Amino acid sequence: MKLLIPPEEHTILFRHITVALDCSPHSLASLTAAAELARKMHADLTGIFVEDINLFRMAELPCSHEIRMYTPEPEKIDTLQLERSVKIQAKKAESSLQRVAGECNVEYSFRVCRGVVTGEVIAAALEADLLVLGRSGRSPSCRKGLGSTARKALAEGKKPLLFMRPGIPAKAGPILVLYDGSEGSNLALSTALALMEKEQILHILILAESYEKSLGIERELSQNRVLADTVAEYHHLPPKNGKTLERYIRMAASGMLVLSDSMNLPRESVHELVRELDYPVLLV
Amino acid sequence: MSLPEKLSPEKLYKTCNPGEFSFLSTADLDGPIKATGQDRAFEAIAFSMGIKHDGFNLFALGPNGTGKQTAIMQFLATIAPLAPVPSDWCYVNNFKHPRHPGALKLPPGKASTLSRDMEHLVEALLTVIPSAFSSEEYQVEEKNIREKFQEHQAEAFEDLEKKAAEQHIALIRTPAGFAFAPEKNGEVLKPEEFMSLNKKEREAIEKEITNLKSAMQLIMVQIPKWQRETQEKINELNRNIANFAVKPLMAELKNSYASLSEVIEYFETLENDIIENFDQFLEKEPDPREMLLGLSTGKFQQKGALLNRYRINVIVDNSKREGAPVVYEDKPACQNLVGDIEHISQMGTLLTDFTLIKPGALHRANGGYLLIDARRLLLEPLAYEALKKALRTRQIRIESLAQLYSLVSTVSLEPEPIPLDIKVILIGERQLYYLLNVYDPDFSELFKVAADFEDELPFDGDGKLAYARIISAIAKTDKLRHFDRGAVARVIEHGSRITGDSTKLSAHLQSISDLVREADYYAASAKRKLVKAADVQKAIDARVLRSSRIQEKIREATLKNAILIDTESEKVGQINGLAIYSPGGQSFGHPGRITARVRLGKGEVIDIEREVEMGGPIHSKGVLILSGFLGARFAIDQPLSLSASLVFEQSYSGVEGDSASSAELYALLSALSGVPIRQWFAVTGSVNQFGQVQAIGGVNEKIEGFFDLCNARGLSGKQGVLIPASNVDNLMLRSDVVNAAKKGRFSIYPVTHIDEGIELLTGVPAGVLDKSGNYPPGSVNGMVVAKLKEMAEKIRKFTASSSDDED
Repeated sequence: MKLLIPPEEHTILFRHITVALDCSPHSLASLTAAAELARKMHADLTGIFVEDINLFRMAELPCSHEIRMYTPEPEKIDTLQLERSVKIQAKKAESSLQRVAGECNVEYSFRVCRGVVTGEVIAAALEADLLVLGRSGRSPSCRKGLGSTARKALAEGKKPLLFMRPGIPAKAGPILVLYDGSEGSNLALSTALALMEKEQILHILILAESYEKSLGIERELSQNRVLADTVAEYHHLPPKNGKTLERYIRMAASGMLVLSDSMNLPRESVHELVRELDYPVLLV
Repeated sequence: MSLPEKLSPEKLYKTCNPGEFSFLSTADLDGPIKATGQDRAFEAIAFSMGIKHDGFNLFALGPNGTGKQTAIMQFLATIAPLAPVPSDWCYVNNFKHPRHPGALKLPPGKASTLSRDMEHLVEALLTVIPSAFSSEEYQVEEKNIREKFQEHQAEAFEDLEKKAAEQHIALIRTPAGFAFAPEKNGEVLKPEEFMSLNKKEREAIEKEITNLKSAMQLIMVQIPKWQRETQEKINELNRNIANFAVKPLMAELKNSYASLSEVIEYFETLENDIIENFDQFLEKEPDPREMLLGLSTGKFQQKGALLNRYRINVIVDNSKREGAPVVYEDKPACQNLVGDIEHISQMGTLLTDFTLIKPGALHRANGGYLLIDARRLLLEPLAYEALKKALRTRQIRIESLAQLYSLVSTVSLEPEPIPLDIKVILIGERQLYYLLNVYDPDFSELFKVAADFEDELPFDGDGKLAYARIISAIAKTDKLRHFDRGAVARVIEHGSRITGDSTKLSAHLQSISDLVREADYYAASAKRKLVKAADVQKAIDARVLRSSRIQEKIREATLKNAILIDTESEKVGQINGLAIYSPGGQSFGHPGRITARVRLGKGEVIDIEREVEMGGPIHSKGVLILSGFLGARFAIDQPLSLSASLVFEQSYSGVEGDSASSAELYALLSALSGVPIRQWFAVTGSVNQFGQVQAIGGVNEKIEGFFDLCNARGLSGKQGVLIPASNVDNLMLRSDVVNAAKKGRFSIYPVTHIDEGIELLTGVPAGVLDKSGNYPPGSVNGMVVAKLKEMAEKIRKFTASSSDDED
């Protein structure tokens, strides 16, 4: 078995990383993860803030009122006030980017554009090697699963994609990679190896039809020179549906999950897993 | 009338025979310095220390240096070890009211144990609590609670969002809240699209949005309540986890102090505080701003702050004590007595807490005895008042002086007062005791017992042995040479000389110990192993020499006749009086010329010193007594038709005392009688209206002063001093004076009556009244009467001729 990306090229995996910023906790987690990756990969970082066109349209509607947490009655939305508030958010996003990029000592740029958030984020990420975004944004109801932008990015097949959530940093705990010997899983493994920090443990979850085959894959991997300097732990699971996989991954309680949607598993199952799994996920 | 004989040399000096001693040197003596002749004071001390009622504190009064403190310490050393060891005291944090730290009473030695146990507890909690809160169980539980809230909130929004979506209305998050807007294909309708809808459609949308807004507001109202409930659940969880972690450690601690209810009570509040403030024990990320300012709450500092909060401030630790404490407070400032609350400066602010409470001497001596120098106590501002307050209220209340007088305006504490059970012993001069008694009404209430220390010891076997022991103890304590018995005898003789009484010894231990050290110095110079009498004598002589500058200057001026003192001839109305000078610590005597002149007058005796306000009241009184004597003796049958003036010649400063009144009377009698006085005599002694000569002070110095002048001019064998007979017991004269007396070159005459003195001074009998009430014509008194008669006649004639002239 050959790994698609030899280890000496790991450092040039991502040159340009784009992170979507909206001042939500998810986006701050994304920013931190993106900056750390940029430091690791010597990549530059682009922060993108989208001024939601829907907000401005709504403000111009005669029936638009804003309901606030600590204000008794809904208030008419003032367009100018809204403009100012959005500008303040953008400023805040920029200063967060400036601070985090400064801490990680990476080059950064910041862009503000106006439009439909999902479309603008995906369009901005076209030039990037990696798009980092929160599992959900500022939308009121996305408690679990993916927010609209993340859903759209996933659906449109934009890759690689790193979904972050607050509370679990990308570099916390071991990296878990799904491996079934496919081209996609090789890419996932190569990427995971490239992201490994010193003395970080790599968990490899081998998905094979039978236990013997799974052990065979483990043997092959363990003899591979690329993994020679890595502390790797092997886990075995027959490829079942996404739900089982999700439960298993939850039980393993690892850190970031690295996987590909070009594995032997159906793409839809992989996407389902990404949607449901409330962990940092890097889809390659 | 028989004249008094001059005193034999034996009467001039009481020697101490070294052969009386059973020891050869003070090295043979052991044991502590034992004060002798202080039975009255010891009785008072024993009474004060024995009586358990309030206010029976002691004031030890007597001159400084008489060994009051030593004597009291020795007494206390016998009783204090037998008394029970008092309790330990410590201050602990009052978790409810940190401004009022609590006082804990513990059995002796337990306070330091408790302090150590508390440090161990905090160390253990720093491990146990973080591990309990980092446990998976806690993390999962807390996450569940928080997620439940998130879910609750999200569900409410999701339902509303769904409901809105069914009506093609989007729920949008604005920068400050939420809003609803009509949508189409996932995008909000543009205003022109919306306006292109017909009125009915627009109204339907607006109505729907209004309903949704109401529903949203209902959710909004619920959110703070859900947040509160969530926080309560988390708090409950935290309490349970902290309780679980803390309980076993506290149970162990409570078990160790089960018999001490106050401590158990403190443990209860402590346990609650730890559980309520469990997050103090969790490691925190340091605040970068604080780090910049150097106030980092790193692990070390965090631990320090925690240790402070739960520290035990041991105020009194009696773990190593045997018996009751005996404390001598050398600097009885207010804060040294009742304790103090210190502050630390942090970023320009003064902060304090219960760990900065410092104990005072009252705390240390509580349950025992506290000795304080009364003068020093009164010199310290507010200290005496603070001591009285503590004794009156029977508790020690620490108050910050700066706070009390608004010198510092910052946060301070009011620690719980500690009950006081103490005997306070003030040591001071007699005058201080009497002043306090008169001017301070509290004093007699609080210091009911006075131990009046004697200034003198009897010059007997016990007194002499006491001196020998004192010398021995000083030699041992100060690592000096021991004294042979001859040297001891000389010190004893000097002790008697200090008192000015040959039957007494001075109890002024300070003077004696100084002499002992000085004599040791001369013995060392002479390379002797034992101090001899010669060394003691040298020390005494050197002491006199060091302070003799003024004395020698006066004598020098006299020898040069700048000061006129006649010691050879006989003069009418002139006599040598004797005065004492006391510059600094040493006093010396020197003769002064007193003259008297008479003229016709109305019977008054003019004291020139008083006229120019250079005479003190006692001196003036003495002169007035002379008038009384003269009037009673010579003016029974005729008026006293004279006017006499008396003066201390060449006196340029004030004159006080009545010791010259006999000399003044002799000068007057000489002036009246015209009989000259022998100037080779000097006179001292006061006189009363009956002509009796009375005792005076400083007799030794006065005699020695006249002797020194005569000696310098050459002793003729005629020279001598007339002293009151009642002063004979006070004679402890220098050896050169005694030797001169032995050789008959200088004489001391004890005089009891003025008639004896005038005969000695003039060589003419004073004269005694015969049966007809007349003095013999050739006697001094006879000549005085004759003179007075003559003067009266002259007055009468003068008055008669004046009357005739007027007619």
